[in-house]
Amino acid sequence: MEWAWLIPVFSFIAVPLIVVLGPRLPAKGAFLAILAMLGGLIVFAMVAVDFLQSGSNTNGCGISEFTKSLTCLYSINWFEAGSFVGDSSDGIRLVWGMLLDPLTVLILGLITIVALMVQIYSLGYMHGDPRFGWYYAFHALFAASMLTLVLADNFLLLYVAWELVGVCSYLLIGFWFERPSARDAAKKAFIVTRLGDVGLLIGILLLWSEVGSFSMVAAFEAANNGSMSQLTATVASLLLFAGAAGKSAQFPMHVWLPDAMEGPTPVSALIHAATMVIAGVYLVARSYPIFVASGDALTVVAWIGLITAFGAATIALTATDLKRILAYSTISHLGLMMLSLGAFGYTAAVFHLLAHGFSKALLFLGAGSVMHSIDELDIRKMGGLRKVMPLTALLFSIGALSLGGIPILSGFWSKDEILIAVSEHLPPAFIILTFMVAFMSALYMGRAMFAVFFGNLNPEHEHAHDAPMSMAVTMSILGVFALVFGLVSLDWPGNFDGIGTLVYFEKELHFHLVPWIAGLSTILAVSAFVLAYFIYARKRISLDSTRAKFNWLHKAVENKYYFDECYQWIVEAIVLTSARLLGLFDRAIVNDIGVNGPGWIVKKVGISMKIHITGHVYSYALGTMLGTIVLGVMWWLRSVG
Amino acid sequence: MMPLVYFQILSAILFGIGAYGVLARRSAVLILMSIELMLNAANINLIAVAAHREGLGHFANFDGHIIAIFIITIAAAEVGLAMAIILRMFRNRGTVDVSQINVMKW
Repeated sequence: MEWAWLIPVFSFIAVPLIVVLGPRLPAKGAFLAILAMLGGLIVFAMVAVDFLQSGSNTNGCGISEFTKSLTCLYSINWFEAGSFVGDSSDGIRLVWGMLLDPLTVLILGLITIVALMVQIYSLGYMHGDPRFGWYYAFHALFAASMLTLVLADNFLLLYVAWELVGVCSYLLIGFWFERPSARDAAKKAFIVTRLGDVGLLIGILLLWSEVGSFSMVAAFEAANNGSMSQLTATVASLLLFAGAAGKSAQFPMHVWLPDAMEGPTPVSALIHAATMVIAGVYLVARSYPIFVASGDALTVVAWIGLITAFGAATIALTATDLKRILAYSTISHLGLMMLSLGAFGYTAAVFHLLAHGFSKALLFLGAGSVMHSIDELDIRKMGGLRKVMPLTALLFSIGALSLGGIPILSGFWSKDEILIAVSEHLPPAFIILTFMVAFMSALYMGRAMFAVFFGNLNPEHEHAHDAPMSMAVTMSILGVFALVFGLVSLDWPGNFDGIGTLVYFEKELHFHLVPWIAGLSTILAVSAFVLAYFIYARKRISLDSTRAKFNWLHKAVENKYYFDECYQWIVEAIVLTSARLLGLFDRAIVNDIGVNGPGWIVKKVGISMKIHITGHVYSYALGTMLGTIVLGVMWWLRSVG
Repeated sequence: MMPLVYFQILSAILFGIGAYGVLARRSAVLILMSIELMLNAANINLIAVAAHREGLGHFANFDGHIIAIFIITIAAAEVGLAMAIILRMFRNRGTVDVSQINVMKW
């Protein structure tokens, strides 16, 4: 288990190798990234087995007093500054360290599996791209930084990895930077997440000033035993949540994620399933003791999660671009995870994170396969593709049904856990709205699935081909995960009692179904899919009259509630205007008076002083003599006086 | 024995002529000669004071003589150097008029 740090290291090493040696290697070094990730997966598998077998007496491990689950800490000193004499140290010690607990292990598994699948898939998808090698280098760096983020045992290392993730997302979203929209999307993603990162940084520094160390465990302990006041805990956790909301695309910082679709589709799969957006949920789950100590912060998390989940689900219903539907569905599901965390549904959130990750990666790879084949994203122009690409249709349907919450598939179980947590810990209004979100998510998933793969085939698409080998295999593997992953929540015969006994906060959660919740969510999901089938596949039900009746609402939703326009206005009216004023101040006062002013004075003085430099010998000689005479007179006066 | 002040007046007159020459003459050669005049005025002063002190019965002291010899030596070297410079100046610019040689300025 001490070797868990190797998981990201392979990929970190692969990055410069691909960049330097890539052009001379076959396939531009792509296999280096894949091998590195495979190595990471193998190490992960060994670490996971080791972790499941170890108990509190294993070296470095113990039962955490916060989560009450097995937690292992390994660290080495990075550097020390100041003195460490006795106990009263006034120095700063920074460490590289790992914190391994069930949360870490599960998310490491998600990242390594999905990243590996996406990398293999990209062999087919990105084939022939002029920057094929760079793509893999960024990809490896992206995955490696995300793995580091998850492994970090202190906030400083987490922040470093957090920013690396941000940079990599910028590079990959803007990978086809020849397209202006891709450039804009990359900038938008970077800037919007950056806004949240400022909050995160302040939060980390606040915790540091409170605790005196960047260590997460120390911060949790201070929050737990009351040495950190509740107010501080609230402020710190809200600041951390600001960072999490930026990365996880929570309202009101969700605007970057749909635009991030401009990147290559496998990158979207990676961003939406395994890296980047789950970082925010992970951060909240990781710093859960602080959030719990605050209490109020959890309410904020729940509210933001609910608003995000509901708003994004409605937008997903009206979007016509296949990838955008998936993007808004991601935002909606991230909102559900946050809602779940806000409702003390720690297990449910983590479980849904994993289940959603596998399903969403599958959906994006399926969408990529469609795009690769027919180069079209508008679902209104598609239909009946199941006839020409049956495998993609099958796998995409599995992903859609899973996310929609059809029983047995993984999404059903995790959504059920969230619904239970919400119904137990939050007011009734929340559970009603959550059911509506669940219904809508089934509806838009059904819409995407039926509109693209069912109905009549567009004659232009008759020559479409199914996914090539590398894409088909990886999609199939993820399809298996989407199909069966949910079963880990069940109470299996033998030692394994469901995921709730593995990853939990404070008390183990044995598998349980609340009949009315499970029943209602099943009915809602099935009816949503049936409805979608009749609307989009059979075209029996027309929505035109409804659309006409609620035209204003439809327009607002279709325009994404005018968030982009509002932000644009804020940027133009407030940011740019104040920037112009500041610029004027800078040019007029700082530059012209403050900097050029003294320069001008020195120049003028110099010009006025140079008139005695005539270049004539006799004027210098006169000066010398007069000077000598003056000195002589002064000496004389001195000797007289 | 002649009073010391005679020598000092002679020295002052010579120095004044030299100083005037340095300031007023245009020809570099004449300026050089005026400088020589000033140096020799200083020499006269030094030798005179040294001889005067000896005449007053002080223990023989050659400081003044030694400095005068130094000055003569340096003046000889200086004349050699300055004449070389003036020669080069004439070769290059065709004149030794210092009022026309004023490039060493801003």
